[in-house]
Amino acid sequence: MSFFGFGQTADIEIHFDDADKRKVAEVKTDDGKKEKLLLYYDGETVSGRVNVTLRKPGSKLEHQGIKVELIGQIELFYDRGNHHEFISLVKELARPGDLLQHTSYPFEFANVEKPYEVYTGANVRLRYFLRATIIRRLTDIVKEVDIAVHTLCSYPDVLNSIKMEVGIEDCLHIEFEYNKSKYHLKDVIVGKIYFLLVRIKIRHMEISIIKRETTGSGPNTFTENETVAKYEIMDGAPVRGESIPIRVFLAGYDLTPTMRDINNKFSVRYYLNLVLMDTEDRRYFKQQEVTLWRKSDKSRLPLHNPHLPQTLSHPAHSSTPRQLSASSEDNSARGVSPLHPENSIQRSISPSTNEDEKRNGPSEMEQEKPDIITNKLSNTHIHNEVDDATEQSVEPSEDKPPIAEKPVLVEKPPVSEKPQIAEKPILNRPETVEANSSQ
Amino acid sequence: MSRVSHPFLYIWSNAQMTNQVSPVEEQEKLLDEALNLVKAQAFQMKRCLDKSKLMDALKHASTMLGELRTSLLSPKSYYELYMAITDELRHLELYLLEEFQKGRKVADLYELVQYAGNIVPRLYLLITVGLVYIKTSTSLRRDLLKDLVEMCRGVQHPLRGLFLRNYLLQCTRNILPDISETQNESEGTVRDAIDFVLMNFAEMNKLWVRMQHQGHSRDKERRERERSELRILVGTNLVRLSQLEAVTVDDYRRLVLPGILEQVVSCRDAIAQEYLMECIIQVFPDEFHLANLQPFLKSCAELQPGVNIKNIIIALIERLAAYSQRNEGNINLSVVMEDGKEQEVQLFEVFSDQVAAITQARVDMPSEDMLSLQLALLKLAQRCHPDKLSYVDRVLAHTDKICADEKSNSGKTHLESNMPVFKELMKILKLPADHYKNILTLIKLQNYAPLIKHLNYNGRIMIAVHLINDVLETDTLISTPEDVESVLSMLDVLVKDQPDQPTTEPDVEDFMEEQGLLARLIHHFKSDSADQQYLILSAARKALQGGGARRIQHTFPPILFHAYRLAFLYKDLRDQDEMWEKKCQKIFQFCHQTISTLVKAELAELPLRLYLQGALAISEIGFANHETIAYEYLSQAFSLYEDEISDSKAQLAAITLIIATFEFLYIYGAENAEPMRTQCALAASKLLKKPDQSRAVALCAHLFWKGPKDGQQWALNEPGRALDCLKKAARVAQQCMDGGVQAQLLAELLGRYALLRHRGNRALTAGLIDAVIQKIREELANLDQSEEVEQITKHFHNTLQHLKNRMECPDPDGLGSEGLVLS
Amino acid sequence: MLVLVLGDLHIPHRCSSLPPKFKKLLLPGRIQHILCTGNLCTKESYDYLKTLASDVHVVRGDFDENSTYPEQKVITVGQFRIGLIHGHQVVPWGDEESLALVQRQLDVDILISGHTHRFEAYEHENKFYINPGSATGAYSPLYRTATPSFVLMDIQSSTVVTYVYKLLGDEVKVERIEFKKAQ
Repeated sequence: MSFFGFGQTADIEIHFDDADKRKVAEVKTDDGKKEKLLLYYDGETVSGRVNVTLRKPGSKLEHQGIKVELIGQIELFYDRGNHHEFISLVKELARPGDLLQHTSYPFEFANVEKPYEVYTGANVRLRYFLRATIIRRLTDIVKEVDIAVHTLCSYPDVLNSIKMEVGIEDCLHIEFEYNKSKYHLKDVIVGKIYFLLVRIKIRHMEISIIKRETTGSGPNTFTENETVAKYEIMDGAPVRGESIPIRVFLAGYDLTPTMRDINNKFSVRYYLNLVLMDTEDRRYFKQQEVTLWRKSDKSRLPLHNPHLPQTLSHPAHSSTPRQLSASSEDNSARGVSPLHPENSIQRSISPSTNEDEKRNGPSEMEQEKPDIITNKLSNTHIHNEVDDATEQSVEPSEDKPPIAEKPVLVEKPPVSEKPQIAEKPILNRPETVEANSSQ
Repeated sequence: MSRVSHPFLYIWSNAQMTNQVSPVEEQEKLLDEALNLVKAQAFQMKRCLDKSKLMDALKHASTMLGELRTSLLSPKSYYELYMAITDELRHLELYLLEEFQKGRKVADLYELVQYAGNIVPRLYLLITVGLVYIKTSTSLRRDLLKDLVEMCRGVQHPLRGLFLRNYLLQCTRNILPDISETQNESEGTVRDAIDFVLMNFAEMNKLWVRMQHQGHSRDKERRERERSELRILVGTNLVRLSQLEAVTVDDYRRLVLPGILEQVVSCRDAIAQEYLMECIIQVFPDEFHLANLQPFLKSCAELQPGVNIKNIIIALIERLAAYSQRNEGNINLSVVMEDGKEQEVQLFEVFSDQVAAITQARVDMPSEDMLSLQLALLKLAQRCHPDKLSYVDRVLAHTDKICADEKSNSGKTHLESNMPVFKELMKILKLPADHYKNILTLIKLQNYAPLIKHLNYNGRIMIAVHLINDVLETDTLISTPEDVESVLSMLDVLVKDQPDQPTTEPDVEDFMEEQGLLARLIHHFKSDSADQQYLILSAARKALQGGGARRIQHTFPPILFHAYRLAFLYKDLRDQDEMWEKKCQKIFQFCHQTISTLVKAELAELPLRLYLQGALAISEIGFANHETIAYEYLSQAFSLYEDEISDSKAQLAAITLIIATFEFLYIYGAENAEPMRTQCALAASKLLKKPDQSRAVALCAHLFWKGPKDGQQWALNEPGRALDCLKKAARVAQQCMDGGVQAQLLAELLGRYALLRHRGNRALTAGLIDAVIQKIREELANLDQSEEVEQITKHFHNTLQHLKNRMECPDPDGLGSEGLVLS
Repeated sequence: MLVLVLGDLHIPHRCSSLPPKFKKLLLPGRIQHILCTGNLCTKESYDYLKTLASDVHVVRGDFDENSTYPEQKVITVGQFRIGLIHGHQVVPWGDEESLALVQRQLDVDILISGHTHRFEAYEHENKFYINPGSATGAYSPLYRTATPSFVLMDIQSSTVVTYVYKLLGDEVKVERIEFKKAQ
């Protein structure tokens, strides 16, 4: 850096090997935007070149050494100054000396262990970046480039289902079943709700996916709940004996793998929240943690013909009559007494003050990625009125006033904050991870 | 096999919908708003489709479909909205179909539409897309159908669920697998189609039934009306099942019917049960019903107490009866019995047994409903088993039992017209009458006549009148004495007084009409054999004689006239039957007794006339000793005249009739004729009124002078006594104070003088006639002009003109009028 | 002008009903007048005639209980005076000369009588005599083989055309007789 207009300075570029072939992943940045970063997996070598370009060719650049670092760090937003680096690898590229011309330095971090996945949350951010530094006496010349890291898992195909009987005494007894307790990010939750006793007038039932981000420890623990998805699975009031199918495609939502106790700094956990709403707007819900994991795309592709519907199977809805007493699912968490804490549905008497409800506020809905087509559909109705407003700005006369008994509008974001979905090109599918990988 | 045509149309009652949420205008406003939004979104959707922006189009479709989430609309308005929206969805479907057929498939479309957050729009889209997938790739058919019908469970709101599933049903209308075997299992077979529709049916029915239990009990009526408007949606499932061509009788028996019945029975909702059972009857072919009578009827017995089960069974019976009749009753009825074996049975037997079981099982069933069922059975027996009268009798026996129970339960001796069973019993009684149109068949039914006795007096009268009218209309002849007895015993209520008849005097006109009918019936008691006819008449009289004066005055005359005719018949048979004269005598003895019964019943004029008719018949037949018997009849008539008839007008009429009758008879024995004609003249002269006397006495002249018969003079002609009569008549006439009456009577006498003289009575000389003429002239001259006098003058002049004509062209056979002065 | 002439039905004494073939012919609204020679016997028979035409004239027959019927009656149709009498009072029964006495007394152009149950129509001393017989063909000891018959008179000013309907076996036979009033 030169404040006086003289003295040599230089630009640093970091080029990654195979950058043109490597997958990219979208990663949310600090300010909520998204950028596409090259994607690396655990154990993969990160290699490339650091190119130093002199601004003033011909004059030399004096330096105390040139290095490149691979850093994995956790930033806690409430503690901005403290970054916890869990990886910090350094490669010396040049000893102190003078640079006379553009120079390119190869580097390689071989088989780097990258234990965590990149993450940007409400209170925490986990990132990986390469930092190339030209050490100078006064001010170093630094270049940082983020990379994306995905952690892959694999679980056996046959996974234990979640099956549980819950209820409020003499009021509502249900049994729900999710086909698995661990889902990969493109997975489908298949399940069913069986109504054993219904003495309340249910209006509808939905499944929401709640992301719970916990940061800090001890008295400084911060918990942030975010409803990532709301998905109506039942309309109207069922009676005893009804069995309602569940099928939720996770691919439509912005999810990350479950992260537990990442470097003792934070956790991200996911819960399936089964919410029943009665005609008096009372909410009954039961949260059940599920583990989300990232599956390698490769295993999925050959099996999948995108033109055929994939998930048509139903877990024993109609084919076998349900037997109340004979559940032999070995590992299913199945309670006998609805009074048992594990088995009690929570009932929130005043929905407006409910924490969960608050978290469902407008801010969360902004997570929508307008360029992912599926999200348009998934949110169409949750944002019903807003869409209308934007759509109908063309024909303002047809503006439709909200009707008193329309579905709950708690989720409704302010109009001004709503992105204009319709303006986006449609059939050009934006490069998403999946689209990219299927090339 | 002929398929039943689709009986359903979407017709909505125009009844005003009063919605609990909003009044009528509010409904219209809400619907209007919704329709406007649909229009706008549909427009956007189509525009996006034109630009191939499928995802945006889907978004608009989804917004449009969001309108169907409303809870504010009445079923009628919701239906309109549904129609508008599904109409627009067709555009999307057609677009996708076209794209798919061009090979431009959209990856994961079936999955993509499932991202929609709200279930109602999501499922409509899923069905639409699913339909396109199935249409373009039948290999997905089985799984997709299964998936769609399963996913629809998510909508548990009755109205929204019903319409959603209706959409599913409409969309899959033409794509259900309808083959019994397939190479490619994933395309599915008709079994899958059955499963699919049955499941949809069960779910829709549950939703429909659930509507009944929502909201306040004060809205029950409105809810039931709305349900009735929506029932067609549920019934369409059954129609769809019936439209599956590949469903065999066996499939129907093993899969379709048990599936439906299980749902119908288990839903325990009277409205649904009644409607669906009738639906089943309506939509499936007769052959299917025939093969499954027992399970169907068994299910009937399990229906809710509130279900009008009789309507269901009656509908089935009538349908099968019509079918059997179309096949002229010649169908082999193979019925699958409970053990699964086929057995050939009589349709009637099956129904009879099941109806008995049902009436026994349903203790709450009102008697009138039991009777309605019996009525249906009766129809079945008559239409399908015309040769089996025993079936009809069996029904009547059951009916008898039901009526007896009803009587003992209500503590009444008879079924009263205001009891519901009364009407049903009437129908049961009329049905065989109208069917056979033959009372002879009815009397063969052991249980028919006893059934009538359950009715109260008026009911029995109605049936009796009905039965007689049938006989008269069809001209049925009852030709044995036994049948006559049976028929009359069936009509007991008309034949004699009843212990339960009203104590007040019956309406005279009605009574006469009823007895008149009974009298007309007697003319149908007829045999070709004369001897048999006699027995018939005896039997009829025996049965009828207990009826009292009020009745026998109507019923005996026909018996008598038939007896008289029978006597004539014996005369015709005289060459074949040596005994004919004896038989005639016996008949007239019978008649004599019959008439004297009437006399004993204190009747006078009628027996008098009947005696005279008898005398005429006897005289005409002329069997041995006929004059004595005829005389007896005449003298009986005369005695009645003398003893019983006191009214002067009636007296004149009676004596005139006796004289005229006597005149007609040719009696050759003076010992009979003499006292009779003397008595007549005496009686005539004793009439109260002078003009009556004059006229009657003048007529008696004919008893002493008759014109020649067959060229022979009557041996008992006494010209002088004839003249005496006329003279006496003239004398009496002149005793009348009224000159006009005198002139009138004399003018009449003049005619009779001339007539008898013309008939050869020389005692009536021209001079005498002339004297009468002069007398009339005198009288007329003394009379003032009046209409009456003018008439008499006209009469007189007509007579004079007649005499003049006679003189101008004399009758060669008669005595001339020479010597008359006619100026 | 159509005038229906019939009588001696004797329902229900001697017959159960009018022959159905006659009933089919006798349609309401065609006939202007009905002249009945009596022996309707019951009110229903009278009511039946009333359904055929509103103008019904009945005289008393020997078996008519209804004593309000007159013994004889004169009706004027067109230029014709028509006398109506049952005939059981006319001694001897059915006798031409005796009927002529009545004709002269009533001073009529046409005399209609019944009682004998035998159809007759004849001219006698320039007057017309009609006996329509028994419409039911009822039994009578006078002429036992009675044929059901009735008469329809079409009266046009001074001409009367008489149609006789007889039921012979199963067939209705019609004969036509014309009578002109002497000027």
